[in-house]
Amino acid sequence: MTKDAKAILQVVDLHKQFKDLEVLRGITEEVREGEVVSIIGPSGSGKSTFLRCLNLLERPTSGQVYFQGVEITDKKIDIDRHRQKIGMVFQHFNVFPHLTVLQNITLAPTLERKIPKEEAKDRALALLEQVGLVDKQNEYPRKLSGGQKQRLAIVRALAMEPEVMLFDEPTSALDPEMVKDVLGVIKDLALSGMTIVNVTHEMGFARELSDRVLFMDEGVIAEQGSPREIFGNPQNSRTIDFLSKVL
Amino acid sequence: MLLVEQIIKIWSKYSTVFLDGLTGTLWISAVTVFFGTLLGMMWALVQLSKVRPLTTIYGWYVGLIRGTPILLQLYFFWLWLPKALPLELSNTQCVIVALVVNSSAYVAEVIRAGIQAVDFGQTEAAKSLGLSNRNMMCYVILPQAVKNILPALCNEFISMIKQTSLASVFFVSELTTSFKTVQSITFLAIPPLIISGMIYLVVITFLSKMVNLFEGRLRVSD
Repeated sequence: MTKDAKAILQVVDLHKQFKDLEVLRGITEEVREGEVVSIIGPSGSGKSTFLRCLNLLERPTSGQVYFQGVEITDKKIDIDRHRQKIGMVFQHFNVFPHLTVLQNITLAPTLERKIPKEEAKDRALALLEQVGLVDKQNEYPRKLSGGQKQRLAIVRALAMEPEVMLFDEPTSALDPEMVKDVLGVIKDLALSGMTIVNVTHEMGFARELSDRVLFMDEGVIAEQGSPREIFGNPQNSRTIDFLSKVL
Repeated sequence: MLLVEQIIKIWSKYSTVFLDGLTGTLWISAVTVFFGTLLGMMWALVQLSKVRPLTTIYGWYVGLIRGTPILLQLYFFWLWLPKALPLELSNTQCVIVALVVNSSAYVAEVIRAGIQAVDFGQTEAAKSLGLSNRNMMCYVILPQAVKNILPALCNEFISMIKQTSLASVFFVSELTTSFKTVQSITFLAIPPLIISGMIYLVVITFLSKMVNLFEGRLRVSD
């Protein structure tokens, strides 16, 4: 990441209220092109909600979200078109059970980007090659392990050639022995220069690969900095308290 | 012993009456479920549109149909429809309209429930990929919902076979009317009643087994 890289995602004074519960209480932040940002914090701190506001799966109560300079919180814009460039990976994979591995990947590119079937298939196979799932191309997801499903979910998102990838606790639902495979794929992605926002409980991963770590607590970003600063010399008492519990 | 003899005698003499009745029952049920499904789909779309006044109307409709006895609905259409429409309507036609309206409310609920039973994560994944609402419905949600909906629709058909017996009140040609017809000819009530009942039992048991088999096959592909 170069210092004057452009901001790809910006949020301004983001608030989100669920009934009486204010989950996000004013977040202003930006993510630059090529940056790998990890979001850590205790459960219920609003990390996932914040992430889900970035592609408007959750509509913020107030505040703005800009993607590549366009305000996507504007009700008049075609949100589907912008979401195509924002990949997302979920904790519970959410692969399409009624489609084969290959169909899972080619569905969105052929439908929404009008890429010819053959071309979409070739690209999908190349992606499957990268994550070691080529031999599963004609299987249905029920035949895959959790780790394989998550790798499929990652390449499904990548097939849309997104500008940024959002990860929502991508390894939290996995058996321990599967975690490494999935982290490996995300690591390759980070090293390839992809912009990544990663909500995670994997502190080792956040420390090793992030350009920046955001610590969230009670709906705000309580502290942020380089991994070295956050893990080596945290300033905020809540950060210190949280890290003492998880490390 | 006498009863069995009577049953055999009546069956050998009047089997065509019962078989005609069965044909009527199956025909009315099939037509009803077919049009009930079409109408039910439209109601389900209304409900899924989430447009405020429409969903309220849907709520009333389903509430009214499910909250009143089907026999009353049959009487209503039998009495009202010939007055409301400038057409010569047979009893059978009035009854079918009533059953279609009744069935559509149940089918709409079956479809709505089938769609809502699809994991919400599927919707989120489809949206995050930038699929339009239409494509999400057609390629992600509905193909999965169909597995929930189809067996329930088959069961709706099976229960409609039983519901159509109410049409006998209006002397529509179907299996329960067959019993009444044979009774009025022979002055014997129990034997033809048992024959009608056994035909219902055989048909419904057979169809239920088929649905179970079908359901099992859908499960396999899960």
